[in-house]
Amino acid sequence: MLYPLLWMLASSFKPESDIFSSASLWPSHFSLEAYQRGWSGLQVSFGQFFLNSLLVSLSCVIGNVISCSLTAYAFARLTFRGQNIWFALMLGTLMLPYHVTLIPQYVLFLNLDWVGTFLPLIVPKFLAADAFFIFLLVQFFRSIPRDLDDAAMIDGCGPLRIYWMVILPLSLPALATAAIFTFIWTWDDFFGPLVYLTDINTYTVQLGLRSFVDSTGKSDWGALFAMSTLTLLPVLGFFLAFQRLLINGIATTGLKG
Amino acid sequence: MASAVSEAAPRPIEGAGENGWRGSGAGYLFLTPWLLGFFGLTLGPALISLYLSFTDFDLLSTPRWVGAANYVRIATSDPKFVAAMHVTFLYVALAVPLKLAFALMVAVILNKGIRGLPLYRAMFYLPSLIGASVAIAVLWRQLFSGDGLLNRVLALIGIQGPSWISDPDTSLYTLVALSIWQFGSPMIIFLAGLRQIPKDVYEAAEIDGASRSQQFWRITLPLLTPVVFFNGVVQTIEAFKAFTPAFIISGGTGGPIDSTLFYTLYLYQEAFAYFRMGYASALAWILVVIIAAFTALAFLSSRYWVHYDG
Repeated sequence: MLYPLLWMLASSFKPESDIFSSASLWPSHFSLEAYQRGWSGLQVSFGQFFLNSLLVSLSCVIGNVISCSLTAYAFARLTFRGQNIWFALMLGTLMLPYHVTLIPQYVLFLNLDWVGTFLPLIVPKFLAADAFFIFLLVQFFRSIPRDLDDAAMIDGCGPLRIYWMVILPLSLPALATAAIFTFIWTWDDFFGPLVYLTDINTYTVQLGLRSFVDSTGKSDWGALFAMSTLTLLPVLGFFLAFQRLLINGIATTGLKG
Repeated sequence: MASAVSEAAPRPIEGAGENGWRGSGAGYLFLTPWLLGFFGLTLGPALISLYLSFTDFDLLSTPRWVGAANYVRIATSDPKFVAAMHVTFLYVALAVPLKLAFALMVAVILNKGIRGLPLYRAMFYLPSLIGASVAIAVLWRQLFSGDGLLNRVLALIGIQGPSWISDPDTSLYTLVALSIWQFGSPMIIFLAGLRQIPKDVYEAAEIDGASRSQQFWRITLPLLTPVVFFNGVVQTIEAFKAFTPAFIISGGTGGPIDSTLFYTLYLYQEAFAYFRMGYASALAWILVVIIAAFTALAFLSSRYWVHYDG
């Protein structure tokens, strides 16, 4: 299963002439040339793409964690008029393919003069656009005993303090799951940046890699694999660090991977 | 601010009324970001998109009402649409069942109590997690190119492989293979489901002399149908929306000769390459109808084949 990945990793360290001469994983001699060629292979270095991706992904994580947990708290722990209707509508948005809202959203962001900036990628996350995570957090919040709210309420806490001091600290595993999946999905997102980012200086790693494919074509597989490997690194890192959390998250909620 | 300051009021009995902290104020306060997003980014745009689907709109000039013309053209005289539908349905019909069968098979094997289960689970899940990235599509493009790794391995045993990606007869199958390779996430959900099946059912079956395959077909599979159903619906929806691999592998064209023109790729081309935004909106709504129809069909048929215990 992992052979193609390992082969890509190994090929990125092989001298160009070596990549296709054998299917063996071990390079005949170890070389970092491909990384050097790839890193500065475009007029903008991959360093810039990494910074951009990092900025977008971290902003999205913050946006999703804040806005989705606020929303989930309202649905799971507060009572208000029309609650069930809103909840049903929220679940309904889970099913709606983003293609339906894509074009009007594009027109909206175009009119706001946001196309070409990171805002169309980030702002929706602050408006709880990922219903998946709201749902995950609602399920989790509901499992926290109500008595805690009551006790805090008797001590004079309002909903905001209960949310902040009772619910959030008790929900760290769920919040972490949401944060990590948000990071990975944003990091890997290709479509959003493809539509909204126009200037190569703002490209994320996925767009950078795509431009690199286009500019080098088939001629420099070594550099292509080197840069591919680099774009996978943060995801691999998260995976190694949090695989238990990720696997439990998917097993219990069915979040796609 | 008043709503955040609460007196030691008696807690309302659940279900007895909608008044928590001074009525609904707090609830709506917390819901504000989502409500803005729901109206501004989902409901509003969805309605506008429905309107745009009846117009001719090139982004620069104002939308021009054309009635059902877009839909009529899609239904009657758009060979690209037919190609995209053909490609997408073929992809869904092949990739989803194969992926699920593979995921189930591996889950059943892993569930037998294999040593090093966490390692295998992680190993099989990893491709699912990174599968959407451009890097994997790049890798795939190399593996299946004419002089790629696969053909070099085949050459070792004397087989001359086709140039998978640039051959319209095989290009789609490379994407199906990629999808199957990412069987990890349904597999993990299957594993979780398998763990719910009580062991004593198998013990009883064993005593009655049921063979391994009988146990699978008569016990495991029926008891697992709710999970099969869930995975099936999720994976089908995902498959209809597949985009990145086809875009990267075909260089954004959906070629060779439209053999990888996924529906979403066609939609993207219409919207952002040709700026036919009205037409693309109509395409988007047809996708919604297709996905909704499939989901509804799955739910309707589930009465006949999904067994909830009881």
